[in-house]
Amino acid sequence: MAGAEAATTRRPPPGVWVSGAVTGVIVLALLFAPLIAPHDPARQDLLHRFAGPSVLHWLGTDHLGRDEWSRLLLGGRFAVSIAALSLVLSLGIGVLVGVLAARAGGWLDEAIMRLVDLLISFPDVVVALFMVALMGTGQATLVVALTVVSWTPFARMMRGLARDIYHRDYVRAAEILGCSRWFIILRHVIPNAIRPVFAMALLRFGHKLIVVGGLSFLGLGVQPPMSDWGSMLAESRRYMEREPMLVLAPGLAIFITALAVTLLGQGLDTMRDRR
Amino acid sequence: MTRFLLLRGLVLIAMLLGVSMLAFAIPWLQGGDPARAIIQARVADQAVDQTAIEGLRAQLGLDRPFTAQYAHWLGDVLHGDFGLSFTSRTPVADAVGHALMISALLAVSALAVAFIIAVPLGTIAALRPGGLFDGTMTLLTQAVVALPEYWLAPVGILVFALHLHLLPSAGFTSPSSMVLPVGVLALRPMAYLLRVTRASMLDVLAAPYITAARSRGLGMTRTLLRHGLRNGILPVVTLLALWLAGLMGGSVVIEVIFAIPGMGRLMYEAVVDKDLPMLQAGLVCIVGLAVLINTATDTLALAINPVLRGARGGR
Repeated sequence: MAGAEAATTRRPPPGVWVSGAVTGVIVLALLFAPLIAPHDPARQDLLHRFAGPSVLHWLGTDHLGRDEWSRLLLGGRFAVSIAALSLVLSLGIGVLVGVLAARAGGWLDEAIMRLVDLLISFPDVVVALFMVALMGTGQATLVVALTVVSWTPFARMMRGLARDIYHRDYVRAAEILGCSRWFIILRHVIPNAIRPVFAMALLRFGHKLIVVGGLSFLGLGVQPPMSDWGSMLAESRRYMEREPMLVLAPGLAIFITALAVTLLGQGLDTMRDRR
Repeated sequence: MTRFLLLRGLVLIAMLLGVSMLAFAIPWLQGGDPARAIIQARVADQAVDQTAIEGLRAQLGLDRPFTAQYAHWLGDVLHGDFGLSFTSRTPVADAVGHALMISALLAVSALAVAFIIAVPLGTIAALRPGGLFDGTMTLLTQAVVALPEYWLAPVGILVFALHLHLLPSAGFTSPSSMVLPVGVLALRPMAYLLRVTRASMLDVLAAPYITAARSRGLGMTRTLLRHGLRNGILPVVTLLALWLAGLMGGSVVIEVIFAIPGMGRLMYEAVVDKDLPMLQAGLVCIVGLAVLINTATDTLALAINPVLRGARGGR
């Protein structure tokens, strides 16, 4: 098994630099979107609806004459920030639960892991629908809905890594030296396990982004007058025969963002394997 | 084994009770007045007559304590009665049953397509890890996973239905109308199944019994079929079951885009229309199915693979 795995990871991780650069450009573009955007994304110009790509409107205009490129820039902020925020929360909760399960052992460990097994099989769209029914639409709903079940893979991974780390000599040494439980967790367990967990977070980002966009597409995510890539897709779907660019552009934006971050995560993951 | 089954059975029942309680408590968790919510959902008017609310409250027994109401509701549910839909005024159980059948057909078709394509490709990729084919497959699976289905589906409709006129753009009645939704839905599980097949086969192919079989002079194809797949398929089947549980209610976007009256669309419409009984029934059924499939998979894995039996406790 070791031989076969080594063969897959002997080559340098392909495209880590490329995917990292693309991710960086996207993050910067979204961060400075209000400065970069050539037009006001909300300004309607009904005389110039469905204008094709031009020097003035790089990607043309939509069914209300709004500049597609500006809308794309500002629309990305919602989905990407919600996805990132829920990912950070999932990671935090998962790491904490995983460490505690590994530390506690026994029936508590077993109970937590059973719960994880179960929650992992819940479709997050259904959980999101349930949360929307409970709390109504809104950014808080989305973040909660996307965190309620998605901390579970992090917890499972962290528990496995932490159990391993707790058997290492340096943890034994720290225990003998009388270091506190929390000092060991914060100084030894989490720092030694965080890299693969972080790589997994990057690997899951694409999925999150797609789910947020999907909810916006269904009208349960971003609410007007704001928009994001998913809601732009939903709006332009009716006009897709007339102006395919309006459907292609937001879809490509999601695709490229998700793929870049995934490849970056994959690259970091292989770098870990090579050690 | 008996102890394991008993334990999982108890967990199953506890989970179902928990979910049913959660589903029942939706109106209370919302913090609103259920009677007011019902009337508002029916007449879509914010200003509701107070006497009508009082009347409905007494009629539905909403003035009784929470536990008594829950017990009453649970009794009905156990008899297959989830009440009437707020919007259509027809029994919810019938609608959910019908939607479940359609979603099951959609999910099973998509997963069958995914499985048939993913297992051979994943196995071939594992034969020469790091090779050209393996690299291509890795990149392809990553690209597929990054593709939103609410983009793929409209583009598919645009190309195959509106331009080429090969397939219908919506519905789920004829075989030709199933092609697009099943195709789009199959892609993501296909990518994940391929990855797991590859990883599992990598493990299996390095095992001594494969070397033994090969040195006995057994051809690669026969070795793969007789020893490789037999031992490597279990993680793939586990993942398949997980996807089945997920797709039973989780293909909301596909069902909405293609106007398929399945479980995902039913849940979506229940949320939009604030149709409480529909939402409760949908939630209980979807989660119930997920837990059931989960338990069945674990039991099956245990039955197939004796190695797991000893390892269970120490996991």
